[in-house]
Amino acid sequence: MRSRRATAVAALLALGAALAVVAAAYATTPERPAAPAAQSGSDAALVKCGKNRTIGVAAPITGPAGSLGQQQLTWAKYFVTRYNRSHKNKLQVVQGDTQLPDTAQAIQVAERLASNSSVLGVVGPAGSQEVQVSTGPFKAGGLAFITGSATRTTLTTDGTRKGYFYRTVPNDDQQGGRVANYIRSKLNASRVAVIDAQNSYSTGLSDTVEKLLKAAGVNVQRESVNEATVSDFSSLVARIPASTQVVYVPWQLAPKAQLFGQQLRAAGKTATLFGSDGLNDPDNFKIPGSYVSAFPVNVSSPIVKAYRQGPGGGKNDLFGLPSYAAADVLARAVDKACANGSASRAEVRKFVAQTNIPKSQSVLGFRIRYTQSVKLPLGPGDMQVPANYILYRINNNGVYVRVP
Amino acid sequence: MGPGGDIPNRPVPPDERGRPRVGVDEWVAQVEERREARTGLTGLVTRFVSAVPPAGRLAVFGAAAATLPFWMNRGDLFTYGIFTLLYILLGLGLNIVVGYAGLLDLGYVAFFGFGAYFYAELSSPQYGIHWPSAASIPVVVVATALLGLVLGIPSRRLLGDYLAIVTLFFGQAFVVFVNVGNPTVAGKGLTGGPNGLAEIDPLDVFGYELTTRTQQFYLMLIACLVLLTGLHFLSESRTGRAWRALREDPLAAETMTIPVKRLKLMAFAFGAGIAGLAGCIFATLLTAVSSGNFDVPILITIYAVVILGGLGSLTGVVLGAIVINVSFQFLAPENPPGNARLLFYAITLLLLALGVRPWWRLGAILAGVVGLGVATQTFVEAVAPGWTGGPVVDGGRLAGAISQWVVIPPAGHGRFGSFAYVGLVVAILVLTRLRGWIRTAALVPVVYLAALVWENSFVEQPAVARWILFGSLLIVLMTIRPQGLLGTPRVEVA
Amino acid sequence: MDLPLVFDSQLATQLFVNGLTLGSLYALIALGYSMVYGILKLLNFAHGDVYMVGAFIGYAILNGLGGPISPTIAVAPLIVLMFLGAMLGSGALGVVIERFAYRPLRDAPRIAPLISALGVSFFLENSVLLLLGAQFRTYNSFLLGSDHPKQFIPGPLSDAVFVVNGVNVQLVQILVLATALGLMVALTLLVARTQIGKAMRATAFDREAAAMMGIDVDRVIAVTFFLGSLLAGAAGVMFGLLFSQVYHLMGFTAGLKGFTAAVVGGIGSIPGAMLGGVLVGLAEAYATGYFGGRWSDLIVFGILIFVLLVRPSGLLGTRAIQKV
Repeated sequence: MRSRRATAVAALLALGAALAVVAAAYATTPERPAAPAAQSGSDAALVKCGKNRTIGVAAPITGPAGSLGQQQLTWAKYFVTRYNRSHKNKLQVVQGDTQLPDTAQAIQVAERLASNSSVLGVVGPAGSQEVQVSTGPFKAGGLAFITGSATRTTLTTDGTRKGYFYRTVPNDDQQGGRVANYIRSKLNASRVAVIDAQNSYSTGLSDTVEKLLKAAGVNVQRESVNEATVSDFSSLVARIPASTQVVYVPWQLAPKAQLFGQQLRAAGKTATLFGSDGLNDPDNFKIPGSYVSAFPVNVSSPIVKAYRQGPGGGKNDLFGLPSYAAADVLARAVDKACANGSASRAEVRKFVAQTNIPKSQSVLGFRIRYTQSVKLPLGPGDMQVPANYILYRINNNGVYVRVP
Repeated sequence: MGPGGDIPNRPVPPDERGRPRVGVDEWVAQVEERREARTGLTGLVTRFVSAVPPAGRLAVFGAAAATLPFWMNRGDLFTYGIFTLLYILLGLGLNIVVGYAGLLDLGYVAFFGFGAYFYAELSSPQYGIHWPSAASIPVVVVATALLGLVLGIPSRRLLGDYLAIVTLFFGQAFVVFVNVGNPTVAGKGLTGGPNGLAEIDPLDVFGYELTTRTQQFYLMLIACLVLLTGLHFLSESRTGRAWRALREDPLAAETMTIPVKRLKLMAFAFGAGIAGLAGCIFATLLTAVSSGNFDVPILITIYAVVILGGLGSLTGVVLGAIVINVSFQFLAPENPPGNARLLFYAITLLLLALGVRPWWRLGAILAGVVGLGVATQTFVEAVAPGWTGGPVVDGGRLAGAISQWVVIPPAGHGRFGSFAYVGLVVAILVLTRLRGWIRTAALVPVVYLAALVWENSFVEQPAVARWILFGSLLIVLMTIRPQGLLGTPRVEVA
Repeated sequence: MDLPLVFDSQLATQLFVNGLTLGSLYALIALGYSMVYGILKLLNFAHGDVYMVGAFIGYAILNGLGGPISPTIAVAPLIVLMFLGAMLGSGALGVVIERFAYRPLRDAPRIAPLISALGVSFFLENSVLLLLGAQFRTYNSFLLGSDHPKQFIPGPLSDAVFVVNGVNVQLVQILVLATALGLMVALTLLVARTQIGKAMRATAFDREAAAMMGIDVDRVIAVTFFLGSLLAGAAGVMFGLLFSQVYHLMGFTAGLKGFTAAVVGGIGSIPGAMLGGVLVGLAEAYATGYFGGRWSDLIVFGILIFVLLVRPSGLLGTRAIQKV
């Protein structure tokens, strides 16, 4: 026993030492240092554009945010279906399941997509934290990634993702400013409750709106609830005084906001609900008298109508709509990059930056062009003005009516 | 159970066979004999693993793992290599608490999270502190071990599942605390709230930053090998034996003057320390941490690793981590659907080949499946022409063959895949109850139905299909080997 | 941290009503956990998903009969049908799960079925996701049976039945409380008075001895799973009626709450599960009402950890005598 153990120890130490030497040698080999080399490798590498071009779609397809991720995936796939119907060249999709809020999945998806040499660009990922962890792998692989829902302002304004990261949604500061202004000057509210949903998207918006309202002298009551895990808001409702005029709910799960509204009304409270773009969901959020901020999507446009009859299965799923726009932006860039028969990821990034989709073709309801430098509240990768939010009021029949 | 109970006993020499050894009762001897008698792949693997001494196993694992960076691309190295090593690290820590000491600690990921957050505080722009790893890792590991000790103190009184629930609350409390608690310290939210902490410095070895995945992989591999060695000796030591005694029967252990309470605390602290180390590495891999990283899903994964591998077995942890992570990554939707399809048909064939003997019966089943497909296709075409000829998703070279064999309705019959899926589940459940030739005959429609479900439903939703297959895999594996892949079968004394 | 509101009896009573309703829901889920644990010493993590399936069965029946806005039959029989369908369906599902996932592991180490249960949980959640999609489905009980759904006037379920001193009680809350109470009484009687109940108690006490006395242990275990899952199915429909939205992951949080309630009450004890459920519900309501949603979870965890540290085997659990 003793001698075997000694042999084992010796063998292990020898093995460890050998490994350390190998690793050190490997690690210091000059042609393999980190990102820059990998970048120039896969970045400029030309991919033959045959009949099939591949794009990645990263979304939280399963997990707690599955209801949102499935919408994004369906919309992105819907774009691909329409594109393939009208083009000789076909787009192929590689799906990635980021399972928000566990960003360990998002980074694995990003590494996989970056290493898949046929992928020319990526739609997604969905959450701001996911964008944060995925930036390294995507930049190392030279991939452009266009999100349809990550709205944290600093993702663009800090300048670290310039040339790689783009979005097809306006950012938090744009939205928060618009909302706070309306609550104060149009609704003349003096008592407002702000309820964040305990996630990155919601706290960002809540903080912005709370700050702006307080600066304007409005009495703000800040509340917080986890929209993903809580199903009964009646006790939260009990905390909101009857004199509160407006309740701001920047949430993403419209059915939960609907329940909150119902419980508010059932408790005999009359405050006006004010939702964010996450609640721009005419199928699920329809408390009469409420407001939501959103992009000026034409719900009766042929694309939305066709989606509703096709993959949407009767639903509008407007939350996933920006992912359609993102796929559109990416597909146009891939087409241009492929014009000479082959494309590189660097070319795709260049053409994404030069995106110019006229209003008539844009599903978002405005011209899509990208800002190249920091012009607060916009940063490189944000859409240029007129990309901004508009407001809808929900009338007594549950119909969304645009308000000035 | 002899010393080193985590290592399956080596085969008994032929002259001793059938005679129970000291400390091994008849039941265990029987089980071992059956294991010896196992034929086929399982028997081969079990015999191989138990024939090689621990050092040899470690060398094989280390050497095989060390080759990964030479033939894997960056993405595969990260998802297959680095994450398997991460699960091994985490599994080793949990193995001490659950496997050795038998404490059902459901708050384990909180230590992992604490390690990651603490490392992030010490090495990120959050407070402008940028300690070198050589300084911060020891500090974090010791602090996490202390936290484990602190949590262990009130838990000493609790037994079994009550300990489980208190530790589960602790884990959940940690998630809630970092996500929404976020107390203000030095003018900043301590944990960054839902945004978490970002821009964490990479690991450095005395000033040299490890930024490529290859470097990170080798560092983690070395950490795993060193830990495995250390834990091997720990489990063979007095402490290791005392832990196992505690796991088998706390009361008996106490009457034998084993210091039960101190041992429990030690197990908590050791496990937490290793989780803290894993947390540091995790934080540098992701460069940003948030509360979602340390919630129930990762806890489930680590438990699956340890239990599947076989509680209390170091080799089991390694094997469990490989099985869990590789199967999960293999099923990842990022893989092109064409590959998944080839894999599906290959595995179906392989399972049939392994499970059905003799060969003529296998041949008959395969012929039956092909025949059934063609017949069904012809029949459906004749009866309901609108129900065939749908597009084969990413079929590649197989597309033609598949479209002639599997009924794929064109879009518009969306429910078809769903009904086929429900039918398949029921059919498989029924199949497990059948015996003899009926079972062989029933295999034919079941295999065809599986292909039908695959082509109509799973290729459309690979992310969801992954979870369904993964869940089924867990059930099947546990049914086949309840004690885990390398666990020792235990005698339940009534 | 928000300061607690000034104590006023109206808020306290309102929170009591809310907490009691929520708690009775948790209690029903906890009962299933506790019964199975009592007999098999198994933490059935798939229990929450059985509850989810129950909620979906209720939804299917509701929509099969015209949907909430224009049901084809009267509201009262509709609700009865939803309960019956969900309870029977979930009960059957529970039996199937036991037969195929747990029975093969009955003599395995205690921790092995835990992984099996997780496998079942993944399987059920994602099967529903595959078949029905990830979107939330709504019972829309707020408008169920409403005369003027277009004007968003609540139907009979969500209309305030009585408002006493500002405290608002809805019919659906009374319905849920009464149903839960009725089911619990029925279960208690069944376990205490009937032959099968006696067999269940005997099996829980000592499975081997029970088998030797001629009790068909397999059947008793199957019945236990059937009853536990049946209660979960009922809880699923109640959830749908109370909170409208059902979705494929709803079982996870609810399962965790049910598990908590079962342990706090003393796992394996039927009255303990009821008490634990109500306690967790009340703790949640009061913590949210007085301290806000930001700290409520931490406070609830704190209370429960405290309870367990003071009474390590739960409120009504008996400390097992260790046989040497």
